[in-house]
Amino acid sequence: MVQTVIDSQDFTGLRARRQALDAYWQQGISGYTLLHKHSDFIDHHLACSFEKSVPAGDGFALVAIGGYGRQELYPFSDIDLLLLYDPAQKDELDSLAEAILYPLWDTGLEVGHAVRTVDECIVDADEDFFFRVAMLDARLIAGSSSLFGKLTEMYKTAYIEGKRRGFLDDMLAQRTNRKTQYARHTYLLEPQIKESGGGFRDIQSMVWTAQVVFGLKDLVSLQKAGLLSQEELNRFEQAQDYLIRIRNRLHYVSGRKNDQLFFDHQEEMAEAFGFINEKEMLAVEHFMREVYTHMQTVSVTTDLFFEHVEEVLGSDETPKAVKVLEPGIEVRYGKIRLANTELIKSEPKLFMRLFYQSATTGNPLHFRTRKAITANLHLVDDKLRHSRRSSKLFLAILVTPHPFRVLEEMLDTGFLTSYIPEFAEVESLAQHDVYHIFTVDRHLVQTINELEKLREEESNIYAAVSVPHILFLAGLLHDVGKGLGHGHAERGADLVRRIAERMGFEKKDIGILEFLVGNHLFLSDTALRRDLEDEEFLMRCATKIHSPEWLALLYLLTIADARATGPTVWNDWKGALLLELYLKIALLLDSKDLSGHEQARSAELGAQWIREKVAGLLPAVNKINFDLFSDDYLLSFPPEVIVQHITHAKNLGKQDVLFLHEQSRESWSILVMSKDRPGLLTRIFGILALHNLNVLAAKIFTWADGTAVDAIEVSSAISETYDGQDWAVMENELHLAIKQRLGLEHRLSRKLAPLRSNPQGAQKRLAARATIDNQASEHYSVIEVFSEDRIGVLYDITKALSDFGINIYRAWIGSKADQVVDVFYVLDYDGKKIEDPVFKNELQQGLLYAVSNAKRKMEGNRNKN
Amino acid sequence: MKKIEAIIKPFKLDDVKEALNDIGIKGMTVSEVKGYGRQKGHKEIYRGAEYIVDFIPKVKLEIIVEASQVDEVIEKIRNAANTGKIGDGKIFVLPVEEVIRVRTGEKGREAI
Repeated sequence: MVQTVIDSQDFTGLRARRQALDAYWQQGISGYTLLHKHSDFIDHHLACSFEKSVPAGDGFALVAIGGYGRQELYPFSDIDLLLLYDPAQKDELDSLAEAILYPLWDTGLEVGHAVRTVDECIVDADEDFFFRVAMLDARLIAGSSSLFGKLTEMYKTAYIEGKRRGFLDDMLAQRTNRKTQYARHTYLLEPQIKESGGGFRDIQSMVWTAQVVFGLKDLVSLQKAGLLSQEELNRFEQAQDYLIRIRNRLHYVSGRKNDQLFFDHQEEMAEAFGFINEKEMLAVEHFMREVYTHMQTVSVTTDLFFEHVEEVLGSDETPKAVKVLEPGIEVRYGKIRLANTELIKSEPKLFMRLFYQSATTGNPLHFRTRKAITANLHLVDDKLRHSRRSSKLFLAILVTPHPFRVLEEMLDTGFLTSYIPEFAEVESLAQHDVYHIFTVDRHLVQTINELEKLREEESNIYAAVSVPHILFLAGLLHDVGKGLGHGHAERGADLVRRIAERMGFEKKDIGILEFLVGNHLFLSDTALRRDLEDEEFLMRCATKIHSPEWLALLYLLTIADARATGPTVWNDWKGALLLELYLKIALLLDSKDLSGHEQARSAELGAQWIREKVAGLLPAVNKINFDLFSDDYLLSFPPEVIVQHITHAKNLGKQDVLFLHEQSRESWSILVMSKDRPGLLTRIFGILALHNLNVLAAKIFTWADGTAVDAIEVSSAISETYDGQDWAVMENELHLAIKQRLGLEHRLSRKLAPLRSNPQGAQKRLAARATIDNQASEHYSVIEVFSEDRIGVLYDITKALSDFGINIYRAWIGSKADQVVDVFYVLDYDGKKIEDPVFKNELQQGLLYAVSNAKRKMEGNRNKN
Repeated sequence: MKKIEAIIKPFKLDDVKEALNDIGIKGMTVSEVKGYGRQKGHKEIYRGAEYIVDFIPKVKLEIIVEASQVDEVIEKIRNAANTGKIGDGKIFVLPVEEVIRVRTGEKGREAI
């Protein structure tokens, strides 16, 4: 290799040093060598000035501590010095410190210095954890070796011998701190090479602990002592070297002591590392993938190491009994382990069994077992990947209460990628934008975490899911098509089909899985980009999504995906849009018979859920006969409201009419309960019209015991306030009307005329329409009436129905723009569907007349006025 | 100089941006906002469960233009964001005292 000779004087000048470091980098000197060269330069410089100004003898020693002690000096690292002195020489101290430190400061180097006696060092080390740790790497640069020897001896006695447990506890506490502090989103996107999980601190704390606990001075000794396998050592050293090179270059690129790979630096770093942009992947994505891979290696290796040390130094409780879970697998001290790590070589089915036991018992895998899994991954072959037994276990793991932890272990051990090789493409795959804070593999596992939470948080919607294993598998695999350019959803759908076929799924399940993965962006794209009031578009969505269960699956996957992507992707703003879209499609899927079977099934599940809720809310003494309530009644109200209905019904005598009203957010809610009788609804609507109330929506039900439950949303047609409305008079008149002692017809005709003074009425009027459908419902004829939205129209419609002797069992009243669509579930006088075509026609004409005749009457009145 | 603030339906953002692009307006601030208005929040009951959305998601655009351009910009936004339904949004026009580009210190129309 060609060597450039660089004057050591240049090296200490800030600008020159930067050029020198870059020159080395260009020559390919980038890893440890560069650190050592740098350290040697500084050593040389310091030793020279020390010798010039210090008299020979045992009075002083110049000691490098911390990273400089380890000879790991990055371009802008602090130079941590300890000037050790014999108390007898105190007088000369000031001039000496000046002579050594001032020139260093003048060059602009960051110098951390301490001037202490040996005793002071020992006292300070007790108080300052970082100083104590920095002392581990103490190295004599110049001066008295006997003074330095005294320090190391005393340090050893005070802090190492017999203090191994305490040291480990400190290390673990620091590690936990770091993990919490640097697990934040910004550090995922822009990793801190020093402090983040898998960074230099992890490496150092492993080396220090090995030194203190086992007396092992470096990585190679760790391997020789059996704490690392040769394979682990190789990977670890590679990772370490890579991280050193990154940090070297990062200091250079940032021009200061900066250890965080900021977004702005990532591209330049990628270029420095020789990556180039390709069609499918950017240079920076290649580079970051390397970074994440190596940090992952460090993180996993150090995790395993610390678990090992903890076990060695473990508390000496009396050994707990080993519990054998199944042949070859046991649990001990709350860890699942192989009875013998060699077993896995002859019994590859144990791979999945181990994770399965871990998932079902909630115990993590022992570190030796994890190591055994990683060391034997070559045994995960096609046979295992095609094994029905393994795939059944895998799916069973996905539907345990906490699959996230287990999948993380699967990913960390490498098993997940061996079992599903398609995963390799997305391992440590970074996406260079500010939205995706996780690498794709982590994001996928994180999605499982979110699904786990959604199972509780969205339990209503989750209740419609009959195939949770498909949902979770879709979560785990939805981005498996990434890393190869555009169209990852379609490519993913293709891949999951192959995966599912290999795992031996049923055709139906494969279909759902393919659908979910292929469309996992559909809802979030649509919610943002399409008009959610475009009925025709919503109808197309409904047709595409096919069933309420598929919609529920896709909705849950969409939320989990967004939440697992990053904080900028998910917020309640987007949640509100998505919920609106979900509900609109859901209602369409429910009303249109797109897939009768599945729809009925999931409605059944929903109703069952309500029944349980209602039963749970009522005191145990209240026996409820759930046969009274139809599913659609149960599905139309929240459980708490149903409970109120049940309580009211108990107090309702034969002749009584219950009339309740309350003010809700945008309208007033009225509840009327009574024994059903012919014409009840007509009278209620008549009274509402009489009191100037517009019906916005109504839910009309009759329980099997004949109790009518009519929940009506109204607003005032004359802008009366809630308190200004005369509710008492209204209640009284309702009683009279129901007892047939109030002349509704004549009162209304007088009343309504002045209200209908809308001059635009005639132009805006839409043609009235009435349809009678005997297919839509099994037991009832369904009558739909479209008419202009005007006060009293419901009275006219229900009165007409009543005149025909038709009983209304339930009704949906809804306004859409200027039109009212009223849906009535009815039977004729004999309790039969309206099948006779002649009667059907008569009824239709009658309804149309009722709607338009009333209009004429009023117009007549208006003309008279 | 005027500041035009437009509150529009989220799905109309692309249309509005494109329309403004056509008349040479490339820079604007876009934020996700929540609002109430005549199109109120709503409560839905689906399968027995209540879903309450107590705000309506909207997008807010902020654009600084010269006074002479105001009418044209408003016209473009209105055309692009109009669906004819409640909740299409609102446009506000506010006076702006000064505009300064942080990097160069340019002021006034140069800084827009």
